[in-house]
Parts: sequence; C-alpha cells; structure tokens
Amino acid sequence: MSIATQQAASPPATGTVQKRSGFLSRIVAHRTDYLYVLPALIVMLVVIAYPIYYTIELSFFRTPPNLQMRDKVWTGIDNYVRVLSSPVFHEVTIQTIIWTLASTVISFLLGLGAALSLHREFVGRGLMRALLLIPYVISAVAASYVWKWLYHSDFGVIGAISVQLGITAEPINFLDNRQTVLASLIVVNIWKEFSFAMVMLMAGLQTVPDQLLRAAQVDGANTWNRFWHVTFPHLKGVSMVTVLLLMVANFNSFIIPFVMTGGGPADASHIWITHIYQLAFGRQQWGVASAYAVILFIVMMFLGYFYVKALTRGDEARA
Amino acid sequence: MAEVVLKDVMKNYGSLYAVNNVSFAVEHGEFVALVGPSGCGKTTTLNLIAGLIPMSGGDIVIGDRVVNDLDPKDRDIAMVFQNYALYPNKSVFKNLAFPLQMRKLPKAEIEAKVMAAAKVLDISHLLERRPRELSGGQQQRVALGRALVRDPAAFLMDEPLSNLDAKLRVAMRSELKRFHHNLNATVIYVTHDQLEAVTMADKMAVMHGGVLQQYDTPANVFGNPVNTFVASFVGSPAMSLIPLDVVSKGTEVALRSPEEGWELPLSPMNARKASASSNGKLVLGARHSTLKLHKSAAAGAAPGKVYTVEPTGDVTFAQIFVNGAVVNISLDPTVAIEPDEAVWIEFDQDRMHLFDGETTMALKAA
Amino acid sequence: MAAIETAQRPVVRKPIDWWRWAGRVFLTFLMLFTVLPMAWMILTSVKSQFAAMQYPPQWWPSEPTLNNYFKLLDPTNRIGREFLRYFWNSFYVSLLTTILGVVVAVPAAYAFSRFRFPGRTFLFFSVLVRNMFPAVVFLMPLFLLMRWMGLVNTHGSLILTYLTFGLPLSIWLLKGFYDNIPIQLEQAARIDGATRFQAFILIVMPLSSPGIIATSIFSFIGAWNEYVYAYTFLSRDDQMTLPVGIQRFFTEFATDWPGLMSATFLMSVPVVVLFLVLQKYFVRALTEGAVKH
Repeated sequence: MSIATQQAASPPATGTVQKRSGFLSRIVAHRTDYLYVLPALIVMLVVIAYPIYYTIELSFFRTPPNLQMRDKVWTGIDNYVRVLSSPVFHEVTIQTIIWTLASTVISFLLGLGAALSLHREFVGRGLMRALLLIPYVISAVAASYVWKWLYHSDFGVIGAISVQLGITAEPINFLDNRQTVLASLIVVNIWKEFSFAMVMLMAGLQTVPDQLLRAAQVDGANTWNRFWHVTFPHLKGVSMVTVLLLMVANFNSFIIPFVMTGGGPADASHIWITHIYQLAFGRQQWGVASAYAVILFIVMMFLGYFYVKALTRGDEARA
Repeated sequence: MAEVVLKDVMKNYGSLYAVNNVSFAVEHGEFVALVGPSGCGKTTTLNLIAGLIPMSGGDIVIGDRVVNDLDPKDRDIAMVFQNYALYPNKSVFKNLAFPLQMRKLPKAEIEAKVMAAAKVLDISHLLERRPRELSGGQQQRVALGRALVRDPAAFLMDEPLSNLDAKLRVAMRSELKRFHHNLNATVIYVTHDQLEAVTMADKMAVMHGGVLQQYDTPANVFGNPVNTFVASFVGSPAMSLIPLDVVSKGTEVALRSPEEGWELPLSPMNARKASASSNGKLVLGARHSTLKLHKSAAAGAAPGKVYTVEPTGDVTFAQIFVNGAVVNISLDPTVAIEPDEAVWIEFDQDRMHLFDGETTMALKAA
Repeated sequence: MAAIETAQRPVVRKPIDWWRWAGRVFLTFLMLFTVLPMAWMILTSVKSQFAAMQYPPQWWPSEPTLNNYFKLLDPTNRIGREFLRYFWNSFYVSLLTTILGVVVAVPAAYAFSRFRFPGRTFLFFSVLVRNMFPAVVFLMPLFLLMRWMGLVNTHGSLILTYLTFGLPLSIWLLKGFYDNIPIQLEQAARIDGATRFQAFILIVMPLSSPGIIATSIFSFIGAWNEYVYAYTFLSRDDQMTLPVGIQRFFTEFATDWPGLMSATFLMSVPVVVLFLVLQKYFVRALTEGAVKH
C-alpha cells in the first residue's frame, strides 16, 4: 500500500475545470455541450453582434438619408465631433441625468417604503401588492396615454383638481411647458416602475432572519435601530441589483417620452435614447446617430460592469 | 470470479488528483465499504464505477466486461444516493417502475416486480404517495427499492444512511445487512462513518487523499492498521497515538518521552520492530481497551495526567495526557479518578502498535 | 411559599407604534397614486365623447355607456375590425415569441447550469449583458438587416428581435431553476437506464415547469407590450400590433379620449389577467437571481 504523498480534495460531482490544460482539447472534449447553447448563440449573434458591429462602422461614415448605404462616405471621427460639440447634446445629457437619477432614486425609496409597510402580514396585503404591481405589468404605451389624458391641458383631471383645491388659478399645462414637462414625465415613469423595486425589496426582506430581529429587540433596539442595524444591511445586495436595474431601465427608457411628448417642447423632454431615435429616423442622419449610439454604448459598458459584478455575487455563492 | 474490479483508476482535474491509482477487486456477493474522511475521493470513486463522471485513467470491470466507456445505463448497476434522489414529481410506484420502464419491460412484469420489491421493503401501502409525503426512513426504503427492482450485477450506495437520525440509522444498518445476506448481492458502499463500515462490510477500503490506504477485512484493518491514518480513523474512541523516541541500551530497547524523559522498555518482539524505525522516532499506538490505569508508578507504565472523565454507565472513558498526547482509556465505572490527578498508564506489549515516526507506516520486525 | 401577585404592580401601557401608523399612511398614499389613474382611465372609457370633454370634469359619468367597447369589439365596423386585427397580431406575435423563446432558452440554460465547457462564463455574461443595451441602439442596423432579409413589414422581424431581447432574462431565470434541481436526480435516472437526453426530458423538464411558466409570462408580457421595434419595422396597417396600432385611433380621432381609454383598457386586460393568475411565478421570476434564498 502506498501512502498519500499529495493531498487531493474531492471536487464536486460536476467537477471544476482547471485552467490551462489544453484549451483546444477541452473544447473538443466538451463539443456536445455546445450544441445546447448553439441555437441561443446563433440568434444572439445575428441580432446582436452584427448590429453592434454595424453601428460602430456607420459611426465613421457620412450616410445618405435614403438608406442606400453603398453611397456612404468615410469621415473619420467627424460624427463624434458633431455630436459632442452640439449644444442640444449638452442639454439632452443634463436631462438624461436628471431623468435617470430622479426616477431611480424616487422609485427606489417609494419601493422600499412600500416593501417595509407590506412586510407585516395583514388582511388584503396580497391584493394590495397585486394592485401596486399592475402599472409595472401594463404596456408603457398604455401608461403614456392614460397619463397624457390626466395631464390634458383643457380637460385633464389633475389640472381640474388643482383648480378645485385652489392650488392654481387655472389648469396647468403640464406637457407643453419647458419648466414642467420633464418632471411630469418622471412622475409617470415612477408610477410605472416603483413597484418593481417594491417586489425586489420584499423578496430581500424575506431573507432577513427573524431571530436576528428578535435578538435586536431583546437587546433594546427600537424600530429604527432594528431597521438600520439589522434589516438594511441584509438588503444591501438586493438594493444594489435593484438600483442598477432601475438605472439601466431608466437610462434606456424610450416609450414614455416618445409617446407623450416626442421630446418636446423644444427638446425639453428629450433624453439620449429619444434624441438618437429622432436623429436617425426623424432626420435620417444615420451616421451621426450611430456615433451617438456608440457613445451611449460606452457609458452602458461602465454600468454593465457593475451590473455583472452585482449579479455574479449570487452566482458564485451558489456555484 | 470477481464481480467488480478497479485497476489503477485515476481521476484528476488538472493537477488535482481526486482518485489516484486505486485498485481493488470485489468478489461476487461481497459487501465492500469505501471509507474515509470527507474529500478523500470515495464518492468520486463510486461515481467512476457508476460511469457518472469520465475516468482519467485505469480500467473498471463489472461482471465480465470492461466498462470504461459505457454509459451508466449500460453498466448493469443500481445506485442509492445520499439524498435518495427520488423523482419528486412521480409517485412511489412510478419511482420504482422507472428503471424497468427504461428497460422496456412489459407492463404486467413491471407491476409484478414493483409489488414484490415493495413487499420486501414493507412499503406496499405507500405506493400512491409522493416522495415528499414520506418520512426519511420511508424515502430511504423507496430509494433502496428502486435499486432492488432490477437484478443488477452490483449495488452502489453513497452514504445511504447519513440523512437518517441516529436511532433509525442503527435500525436501517441491520436491515441493509440482512438485505445483503438474503440477496447475496454485490454491494459497494460509501460512508464516512467507520462504524458503519466495520459493522456491515465484508471488506473495507480505507481512502485518504485520493489514495487507497488499506483494503482488507474489518478485523484485519482494525487489528493491523497499515499506518497511523488508518489506525486513528478506524475504531471508536480513536486509537491513541503517542510520538516517542527510540533508545537502545545494549540489547534492551526502550521508548523515551522527548519532553518528560520517562522511559518505557519494550518486549523483544516490539524491540525488533522499533529498531526498524527510519530515524529513531516512532509513534506508539494503543486502543483504549488494552490500557491499564495505575494510581501509582508501576513497571512498564507511563505517567500521565487526567484531563476529562466521561461515565457512560457500563464503562467510563477517560482522556489522559501522556507526553502531550491525548490517550483514551476505558475504565470500570467503579474506578474513581478526578481531573488533573496524576496517573500511570500500562501498555499491553502484545497489543500495542508501532508506527514509523517519519513514514507513519506500521513497523514490522526486521 | 408566597403567592405570586401581579395585581398591585403598575400596568405599563403598550406605546403607540408610530412607525406602523406612518406605514399605513404611506401605503394609503401609494395606493391612491397607483389606482386613481387607472380608475380615471376606466371612468373615462364609459363616458361619451361629449361627457369627457367638460370642464370641470364629470367626476362620475352621468350617463355611463359601453358604446366605446362595443365599437372596438364589433367586427362589422372598420374600427372594430382593425382593433381586433391588431389584437390578433399582438397575440400571435407574443405567443410565437414565447414558444420559440422557451425552445431556445431551455437547452442553453441547462447547459450553463450543468456543464463546465470552456468559455462558459464568457458566453453566459455576454448573453446577460445584452440586457443592458437599449432597443434604439440596435434599431438602425436591425432595420437595415431586416430590409436585407426581406422581413420588414412581417411578423418574423418582430419575433426574431423579441426572441433575442427576451432570451437573456429567460436563460438567467431558467439557469437559476436548474441550479436548484439536484444533479443526483439525473444521475439516478441515468443509472436507472435513461440516456442523458431521456434524463433531461423525463426528469428535469417536468421539475423545471415552474421556471418555464415564469419565463413564459415574462416573454409574453414583454412581447405584448413592445413598441419601438414594432413602430419601426411595421408600416402596413394589417400587420400592426396593438401598442402601435392604437396610435392610429389617437391620430385619426384626435379628440376621442374615451375611445382611446377603452382601447388602452382592452389592451391591458390580457397581461393583467395573466399577471394576476400567475402572480406567484411572475414575482419569483422578477426576483430570482437578485435575492439569495
């Protein structure tokens, strides 16, 4: 009998792949595994990799408005210069930041409040949760029309209420006013998405161990202290993912501003996405719009890095 | 004719050897236990036999075929898993019928075999239930039944009792043993519990670090452990191991405590063994039942200090510090000793074990 | 031994839990914020055009009418015909997207959960990161691609695009479900005589049906609500889906708010019903992966 000279731990049943032991031979050894992913990869490749490549390519060309891309002309970084030096771009960038941050922060806080209030068991809790979630489920187009009607300058119910309550002398023109339009749209966006934060945080709350809360209670912690020292630290992971997902979604919103105002009046409710759309499909400036899209792309990459990082924490814990 | 043969079986993940050159043969109708601490490669070995993971090298023979490249389904084996792996969406009946359905047996035959297996295991009244509606012990029986409905060349069991509570585990242990006896089945049984292995197996294979340490009958493994690992792993309480120096004075050979200076003269037989140690150091091993306790200095006894005393009713166990090592000893309950009391331990020269201080292997007389 | 007495000791009254009250007030506010717009939509949809256009508004419709709904659901008039056509288009596109999505996502998610092939992590995250990019970024090149493939003005263009933006989430969700199915079940099946594929179909698939339901709801709702691609790829009236088609009522009947509200209501009914019936799966799908259980 021989004695163990090298200690070896038994790996999990599925096995962990050791780095650098003939990459090609391992690919060959696992060739059947790829069959499972192949359909997904092909679809993704056609509809994602190609468009990304093509966007980057177009961003260096002056393009004819008629979509005859054979006639495009190489212009180097001209398109980028045009985008970055345009005053509208700066205005729209500020609006994009306001839109994204305000929507994200307020939705998160409302969602957190709702999750905490709904955490305790009471009659009608399930119904309340379902009702609060309906705006999240319905189409943004539907939400846009409903709120457009609520905001209507002549017959809108919000304007009428504010007059009846004596807040304003006459109905406010919410959407046709550079001062109020962005805020009005943010309200719609929050209405649509705060319950997403609520559901995420409710699920997060369920992971807070009851024993810890009871221990804290016995130790003399009041409601606020229990929240701050026990509940909130447990919600950190979920909160991070939620905030990131909200930010990505808000940064990428299109329907609400596009359907409700089309970016107007005078570009006051444009954000990057609607602006790009307008440049491409409104003004047919495909090259400029592509350069714009690439810039957006780079910003998204930064957010994407944090997104993947936040998500993998869970994956590693499970694997 | 051997039913299952492993020859130089290897499994590595890069430079990590989970199973390293393991060879042993299981005779037909034999109950073999694969034991070792967690991470020793025993479950990996079982999975290799089952064909659930690919081998890196070596040969496995089941029945009269080399099965290295066969799918699990073609190896003619049945397996019982630690967490039972009952199909949660199928009733007990369908769980038992599944292996037969997969082999395309006629319906009537399937039903007959399932009924027969259910009767043997006393689960006939549970056939319509879902696995989650069963107790742990019942799930265990169903898992066994699923292996039993077929007539495989070998049964593989991966810690099948470890999820049961202590009382049930003991009951199931004897039932498994009886089941093996009745069926004259070939069983390879993985466990981390050496007591299970000793009580149930015809032979046990002790593994450590992916390497097979000793493959023998439980009596031989218990009586003649090949190295300190096997010695300390098999038996409860564990064999006490005391590292000592070898000193020779003419023809006399003794062991000396490097820290406390006392000496223990050896019998001629043990002296010859001790002389074979590679660097003048060895490890003295002794089972609790071979030791005698003295309250005053005695010939052939080493001084120690009582650490804890644990009465269990019919026997009292004591832990005693000897030369810095903990020595387990069993005493008659009438012996009264106190923690921190000075005592002397007498070793039985015929039943002590001597291991090489460097290689940890059992010393043989030169 | 003395009797235990409590009567003489002062009774400490339980203090009012202000946090609890704050929570109730806050919830009431949120409920009003959420429900009132929807209520106003429904109230408007049962008004006549004349009744809707009043200032101050009729808080409660004086002569409630279902005429707007009858008009939309009556296939004998033009509006009803078109609305039902859009409705059918939306349904058809969403359903096909959902089915294809499951067919493609299930094997991929299973592979990502079970196999350790080289490049797995990279592929997995490149699939996930797709979630990050807005539709608009892909719109131009995809529009050109669809034109080149001759798919503009077909439902194929929509199904193909919806498929990809649904896939990352579906794969992610399903992988979570597969991770939770013990691998021993498959091993047991393979020892019991099943091939790897049989083990997958007979044992794993039935167990992952909650995951498949959850991802299906997501794909369906996502496809049903999608607007940007449909707006760009479709210009023929008979191909349009609801979110795009509904706009035509708006432009053609510029002041017909009750009609638009009833159309909006009808458009929301399928997804809301789907959500309410399968709420459990929906919520689980939403939170899976972000919350460690």
